[in-house]
Amino acid sequence: MAVSGWFVALVALGVVPIVLTGQPVVLALWLVLVLVLGIVDLLLAGSPRAVVLSRDLPGRVRLGETVSSSLYVANTGRRRLRGMIRDGWQPSAVAAPDRARIDVPRGERRAVTTTLTPFRRGERRAAHVTIRSFGPLHLLARQASIAMPGAITVLPPFNSRKHLPSRLARLRELDGATSVMVRGQGTEFDSLRDYVRGDDVRSIDWRATARRKDLVVRTWRPERDRRVVIIIDSGRTSAARIDNEPRIDTAFESALLLAALASSAGDRVDLLIFDRRVRARVQGATGAELLSRMVSSMATVDPELIEMDWSSVPGLVRSVTSQHSLIVLATTIDAPGASRGLLSVLPQLTRKHTVVVSSVTDPDVMDAARDRATRDEVYRAAAAERALLDQARVAAAIRQLGAEVVTGAPQDLPPALADRYIALKAAGRL
Amino acid sequence: MTVAAAGETGQRVLTPTTGRVLKRSLFWVGVVAFLAIIVVIVLATAGSQAGGTRLDASNAAPPGTRALAEVLRQQGVTVTETSSLRETEQEIADPSGTTLFLYDPNGYLTAAQLREAVRRASTVVIADAAFDTLQAVAPELALAGYAGGTLDADCGLTPAQKAGKVTSDGNGYRIVDESAAVTGCLGSGDGVYSLVQLERGDSQLVVLGATSALTNEHIVEEGNAALALNLLGAHESLVWYLPSVDDLADSAAPDLGSLTPPWVTPALALLLLAFLAGAIWRARRFGPLVVENLPVTVRASETMLGRARLYQRSSARLRALDALRIGSVRRLASLCGLSRTASVDDVVAAVADVTGDQAAGIRRILIDAVPSSDAQLVVLSDELLELERAVAAAVRP
Repeated sequence: MAVSGWFVALVALGVVPIVLTGQPVVLALWLVLVLVLGIVDLLLAGSPRAVVLSRDLPGRVRLGETVSSSLYVANTGRRRLRGMIRDGWQPSAVAAPDRARIDVPRGERRAVTTTLTPFRRGERRAAHVTIRSFGPLHLLARQASIAMPGAITVLPPFNSRKHLPSRLARLRELDGATSVMVRGQGTEFDSLRDYVRGDDVRSIDWRATARRKDLVVRTWRPERDRRVVIIIDSGRTSAARIDNEPRIDTAFESALLLAALASSAGDRVDLLIFDRRVRARVQGATGAELLSRMVSSMATVDPELIEMDWSSVPGLVRSVTSQHSLIVLATTIDAPGASRGLLSVLPQLTRKHTVVVSSVTDPDVMDAARDRATRDEVYRAAAAERALLDQARVAAAIRQLGAEVVTGAPQDLPPALADRYIALKAAGRL
Repeated sequence: MTVAAAGETGQRVLTPTTGRVLKRSLFWVGVVAFLAIIVVIVLATAGSQAGGTRLDASNAAPPGTRALAEVLRQQGVTVTETSSLRETEQEIADPSGTTLFLYDPNGYLTAAQLREAVRRASTVVIADAAFDTLQAVAPELALAGYAGGTLDADCGLTPAQKAGKVTSDGNGYRIVDESAAVTGCLGSGDGVYSLVQLERGDSQLVVLGATSALTNEHIVEEGNAALALNLLGAHESLVWYLPSVDDLADSAAPDLGSLTPPWVTPALALLLLAFLAGAIWRARRFGPLVVENLPVTVRASETMLGRARLYQRSSARLRALDALRIGSVRRLASLCGLSRTASVDDVVAAVADVTGDQAAGIRRILIDAVPSSDAQLVVLSDELLELERAVAAAVRP
């Protein structure tokens, strides 16, 4: 049961007859009147239980976008159902409007539309629907909550897709470039074409020139069908928030950009999200299906507060591929102590593969190292310099073990990783 | 788009129906009702056993005086109980044929009311008169404290003589004005009496300190019964007056309740009810909360800030400065085009070359200076920044 504001006003209105008559007995009479009206109203209200509910939900939504969810209310009761309805979504699904007016005549069905603008990645759920049914006088209401589960998967936003066109253009420049740019081991022979002034004379194909009686040069294109394995660390360090974005979300952004780029360059991309067990795995997908499967598998992964198990990473890579490939480790390089596990397995990986370690740097630390106006800020700058020094030492150790390091602020890391991929491809190191 | 539909059978209502709520709470309603019944029974039986009002003529408990009142009635005396002065005045039809018994342990009556009451009857018995009561109606007497034990009737008063011996457990009085017509009785020595009679023209005022002699508990001891019956049964009518709160209203000025219009109280009650209804209106929630696990928000720079505060609290100036210097040396080395492995001395030499400053001064900033206060630390840090800026300006093409 619920009370409306009209009921409260009706009770308070009793002051008028009491003051006018000056008789204390009017109080009792008024209360009896209010009670009778309330009971009559309650008896005439439609049952909030005699409904059949159904939902119409889009299955997936990208973070930051808005979708509308429809709830159908069919009145199977004997009376008209008038009142309010609330679709019980989790707070981070941001359902609007929170509650809606409904008026369903007997035996009919109405739709209630709620727009959802989730602000967190993952699976957002609705638990129940609450109906408050008022009587014709709108004084008292019957209320019931009906279990009505629903879920919507909120995908990573892939904001870094804005960098994709420029990187694809640079990839096309590589394609069919002459050996001036890309000559090196591993580049594949593409075609022959006429010599133009400025081409490297070393790329002249003398045999073809002899046949054509005209200068002909060979062109190369970047290798295709290479393998890219992206391993994302979902351990405790990935939960840290930098620039109001957890490290793992930045890792997802960079992985999506790299996968989009690599798959359009003709390489095969595999994704593993791992801490002590495999949290998500995307293998053998190509083209549009790859990105779709990646975002769905990423959507529900949140960092766990456990230490990353680096010792099983080489075995994991072996289970994906045995041929030479580019391995991208999206993790954190922070302090020498915390990165010991990573450093101990890098030699096994670099022996066979090209390894890139990508890590987010904190712009706050960079800023703190520069601001030194007051005493507090000088100490903060000292601590920041210390943190940067630790990172630099770990990065140097990683480079010494034969891997590459890519670091950047959250918004800079995805394009930086894409650039490193293009550079490696141009150098024929894939 | 996926459509999730629930049939009438698959739909589960979370809110219990009114009937189920009642059924579920039946046990506790029963428990509360049972406890209430027990409390009522206990209260009802407790009233007849202990306590009750002392010297109340209808109280059958040990401190009451019902036995005395009943015996007086059997002897043909009309015993009337009153609880306010107005009531008492109405009950006394014939002042000369009436005994007024007055017992006011809580001091409800004012001096004026006391004098008024005493004037109403020819024989007035005041039990356990307190200091201010004596001041008002019997200034010849003074309170002499406790007087107990078995007392002899050693005076000319008829009730006391008939009693012979009386057990007392109450106040004693001393006669301070010997010239007045005062008779002291039941003396406990040293001029202290537990029964004093004052002659006021044609009426008598009796101050009784041995009040326990009247109670149900002690009335059968020694000559208590004879004293009580003769003292209070002298006239055909006895008014047993125990002042109560009603007497206060008579004396006080008209209070707020009598000045306000009659509708104020019901209107206030109604507004209180409206307030309660409003509270229910606003507080009734629209269905249960939907639970969600939220991540803890901790910024990654917390560790950096924590380390800074540790440096500051322990005044680790040199350590802090060294961290700043290492960062500066690294940047200076890359500005001067030296390799990452270049030693500090190489960097000092290169910086001196680029800026044209003295190598010793640069060496002091980068290596030698030891800050002895936070102010010096800030100065040295500024010098480091200045040096970096100078080198950057010098190498810029």
